[in-house]
Amino acid sequence: MTVKTKKKEDKRIGLFVCHCGVNIAGVVDVKKVAEALKDTPGVSMSTDYVYMCSDPGQQMIIDTIKEKHLDGIIVAACSPTLHEKTFQEAARLAGLNPYQIEIANIREQNSWVHSDKDKATKKAVKIVKSHVAKAIRNENLEPIKVDVKKRALVIGGGVSGLQAALDIADHGYEVILVEKNPSIGGKMIQLSETFPTLDCSQCILTPKMVEVSRHPRIKLLTYHEVDSVSGFIGNFKVRIKKKPRFVDEKLCNLCGECEKVCPQIVPDEFNMGLSFRKAIYMPFPQAIPGTYTLDEDHCLGLSPVRCGKCKDVCEPRAIDFDMKETIIEEEVGAIVVATGYDLYTMQALGEFGGEKYEDVVNGLEFERILSASGPTGGVVRRPSDGKVPKSVVFVQCCGSRDTEKHLPYCSKICCMYTAKHAMLYRHRVPDGQATVFYIDVRTGGKAFDEFYQRTVEEDKVLYIRGKVSKVFKEGDKLIVWGVDTLTGKKVEIEADMVVLAMAMVKTDGVQDLLKKLKISTDIHGFVAEAHPKLRPVESLNAGFFLAGCAHGPKDIPEAVSQASAAAAKVGDLFAQKELSHEPTVVPVNDELCSGCGICVTMCPYGARTLDPSKGVVDVNEILCEGCGACAAACPCGAAQQRNQTDDQIFSMLRAMLRE
Amino acid sequence: MFEPQIMCFLCKWCTSAAADLAGTSRLHHVANTINMRVMCSSRVDPQHILYAFKEGADGVFLGGCHPGDCHYVEGNYKTLRRIALFKKMLADLGIDPRRLRLEWISAAEGKKYAETMNEFTEQIRALGPLDLNDKALVREVVKDE
Amino acid sequence: MKLHYYPGCTLKEKAVALDISTREAMKRLDVELVEPEGWTCCGAEYPLTEEKIVGLAAPIRVLRQVRDEGGEVLVTTCSFCFAVLKRANKALRDDPLKRKRINAFLRDDIQIDPLTKARTTDFEDYNGEVQVLHLLEYLRDRVGTPKIKSRLKRDLKGLAVAPYYGCRLLRPQEEMAFDEPDAPRVFEDFLEAVGCSAVDYAFKQECCGSYLSVSLPDAATEASYRVLRAAQMEGARAVTVTCPLCFYNMDSRQAAIKEKFLDFSGLPVLYFTQILAWALGVDREVLGLGEHAVPADSLFEEVPTTEVRT
Repeated sequence: MTVKTKKKEDKRIGLFVCHCGVNIAGVVDVKKVAEALKDTPGVSMSTDYVYMCSDPGQQMIIDTIKEKHLDGIIVAACSPTLHEKTFQEAARLAGLNPYQIEIANIREQNSWVHSDKDKATKKAVKIVKSHVAKAIRNENLEPIKVDVKKRALVIGGGVSGLQAALDIADHGYEVILVEKNPSIGGKMIQLSETFPTLDCSQCILTPKMVEVSRHPRIKLLTYHEVDSVSGFIGNFKVRIKKKPRFVDEKLCNLCGECEKVCPQIVPDEFNMGLSFRKAIYMPFPQAIPGTYTLDEDHCLGLSPVRCGKCKDVCEPRAIDFDMKETIIEEEVGAIVVATGYDLYTMQALGEFGGEKYEDVVNGLEFERILSASGPTGGVVRRPSDGKVPKSVVFVQCCGSRDTEKHLPYCSKICCMYTAKHAMLYRHRVPDGQATVFYIDVRTGGKAFDEFYQRTVEEDKVLYIRGKVSKVFKEGDKLIVWGVDTLTGKKVEIEADMVVLAMAMVKTDGVQDLLKKLKISTDIHGFVAEAHPKLRPVESLNAGFFLAGCAHGPKDIPEAVSQASAAAAKVGDLFAQKELSHEPTVVPVNDELCSGCGICVTMCPYGARTLDPSKGVVDVNEILCEGCGACAAACPCGAAQQRNQTDDQIFSMLRAMLRE
Repeated sequence: MFEPQIMCFLCKWCTSAAADLAGTSRLHHVANTINMRVMCSSRVDPQHILYAFKEGADGVFLGGCHPGDCHYVEGNYKTLRRIALFKKMLADLGIDPRRLRLEWISAAEGKKYAETMNEFTEQIRALGPLDLNDKALVREVVKDE
Repeated sequence: MKLHYYPGCTLKEKAVALDISTREAMKRLDVELVEPEGWTCCGAEYPLTEEKIVGLAAPIRVLRQVRDEGGEVLVTTCSFCFAVLKRANKALRDDPLKRKRINAFLRDDIQIDPLTKARTTDFEDYNGEVQVLHLLEYLRDRVGTPKIKSRLKRDLKGLAVAPYYGCRLLRPQEEMAFDEPDAPRVFEDFLEAVGCSAVDYAFKQECCGSYLSVSLPDAATEASYRVLRAAQMEGARAVTVTCPLCFYNMDSRQAAIKEKFLDFSGLPVLYFTQILAWALGVDREVLGLGEHAVPADSLFEEVPTTEVRT
């Protein structure tokens, strides 16, 4: 924000020209520069010194500011990236507003690149002059400050969300963890073993789940969904919808009597529909919170008249048919989006028969088939008739890396989990044949390639480089047609089961949530990061952080690292007493604004909104990053960047170009 | 020999950093150019460019980050579109569009920066001083393109 | 109503059954088929070969004639003619250069007035105005299942028929654009509309051998065998096709197939229009069953000829 500043006519500017030993003085006649600027309007003193950045140099600046009552200074020296902060600090010590400091770069962009002394000196004069023109127009500014609510919201209770919640809570901040399903655990809890170490997925995840549920600073809201979000970084207001579970979590003692009497049989989501559950159910034995949930969509009717069998047998009287959807409101300072992924539908690849044949399964279904807690108790059996398959064909890149018909990107984890599937299958069915069709095998990751080599060499999995064109049934066999692109021959394989490594896609329906959060996504619906290299865990929208597959396909270690990184970023934010933001933003002059809204479309941060009641644009200065794209686009000059106004740019141009 | 004056608007994150790198690498180049650091190439309004021509610049250079690398996500794309349109207008205004140049120079491309400065200066030198009243020249250029 | 219909050369020679059954069936759906005056061969595969602009002149000339006769839609039954006409039309719509060049070729053409039969050379450029539809597409989108059902005269009692798409009908998808090639429905829906049950089998989009019939007859024999056997294994009593070449490969090759593959016992092949015409009450004698190498008569006898629905 702006603080009272003297008018430009009354300003007293001091000029300090640095020799930088011979680095500048060897080419530029520094005394001449100081002399030439002495009489420029606004300049009340000018001097030169051998090293301005040295302690005596800085002290001289401080003393001069005080003595001569300077309103602004120009240090003609090296690039502002080096010592701008140094001189701002010196100015602050002298009681001068740090935004009154100008650095004229006469070293990197002048003395070091020119040899003609006369030309370099003339150029230095022009550069310094332009900064005088700017300095007399600089305003006193104070960083924009906002309070931070030191509580975080984490959306999604998969491994990424759990890790982020735990880390933030361990930093000492409160966390609200929202999960739409009845239990936390996400996709990882459905996995059998994990590559490349073959750790049992449930064994390593359940302790984390328990930790989350017991953590004093984590408020766990399962079977809840985020309804709306308003506000901005540090100050979000979140409305969270509590879906009725119809079972009181605190009263339910998990006796399971309700489940026994429930007459409604429903495909079990946890087992990917390969087994059945009741309408009143616990998703899996280690579910957290440990409570039954009544699935309203499949219940015969929430009324003792219709059925009510479960209610009759519930000893602790935990079942309540009258529960209603309720809304909870929370205030948080940061939001971590860890909404996970889904698999591309098998329907989209009709030629593989995933929808038609029970024995064509996707990767997650096969995880359940491999899992000791799965529908077959860890024995590999095919869904159609329960036979142990003696030949399994694995197809990689189902939907991935297909620019023409499906998704152009690589789903990243399929090479590794297919190797794991094939290896585990061979361990369980030693006389079985595993065949993998691949385009490339990508094993970038610690101990990944060794794992793949083991699959090929020790476990004798047959890898065929090529694509599959069709899977169809003949008798009780599945016939897989493909091509071996290394030999150029058509391949036909008889299989008992086919496992499709379906592409990873954005979570079904997540776009509605992301729209409510107003955060940007990429063309595939994954949440976009602020910078692909340098800000990979922050959203473009301030106060939002990303973790896990919501951001794009990744494996568990990567998802966990990203979650911890996001938590660290949240910690950074919360460690500040208040948020401090560069004040060199682009506010709007209400009197000049015509309400055209062009600047609103220019802003990538959502900092500008058109206020329909006032007919002018509103700027949320805390969101503005100060790029100035809007200022350049504003047709009426209403959007002016602080301390880089059009007036300042024009006056600098005059100083540089007018002879 | 005609010594043109060239006004350069450099984005803080890439091209100005490239100019600094040219400095630390002591990559000498012509002294005809003078730099103004802006936060983003998209901060540069066509009016600034016109003003530079009016105040005596014979050429104007605009440097930004490579596509996809913008610190502000997409500022350089905004610049790209803006400048493409503006070049068409320049001809109508009596200024050879070749006097305005937009380049993507990353913070690592000090050499490219120095070379571009030399090259652009030579190009402007060949075009001669900017005469804002000489419309005939412009007509010729437009015909050529 | 009148509808422009392009039979194509094969339907006038080898596949007369397809032509007559189409006409008879459509009559019973109140559609009178009109052939564009002076139509020529579509060019078969030739116009679809890489960048042969001149080849496109033949199909475009037909389409221009349809337009000049006031036709907005042209239907065909043969998969090859359909592919050629539709893709040529699209090429013309999408590519201004092709449009210009083909129209330049056609300027030397002679146009025949459908009423006076006068020959003129004065015509407008053709810019892809006519819509090319396959008869299955026309039945699905313009006639509609309810109307077909309301006109049925025979109950086919869920006769198990395997629809055979072949390779030409649906691909390339972005150009043919009338059904999903990997999970098509149009043929199945048609069969169910006329009272058959559509047999689902894995080979409905596989190639019958096509022109290999000429150069490598053994390959075509095997390809056709695989299609027929797959259909038979799923319980089909007949295979139905849209394309005269598919018909030829799968019908007249069956003697060779039986010789080579001893497990195969023969399966009648029908044009889809024969089934449609039969269901709509057309006499058996008109269906052109005499053309079939594998007798299909029994199939039609079995079906009671009593009128069940009106």
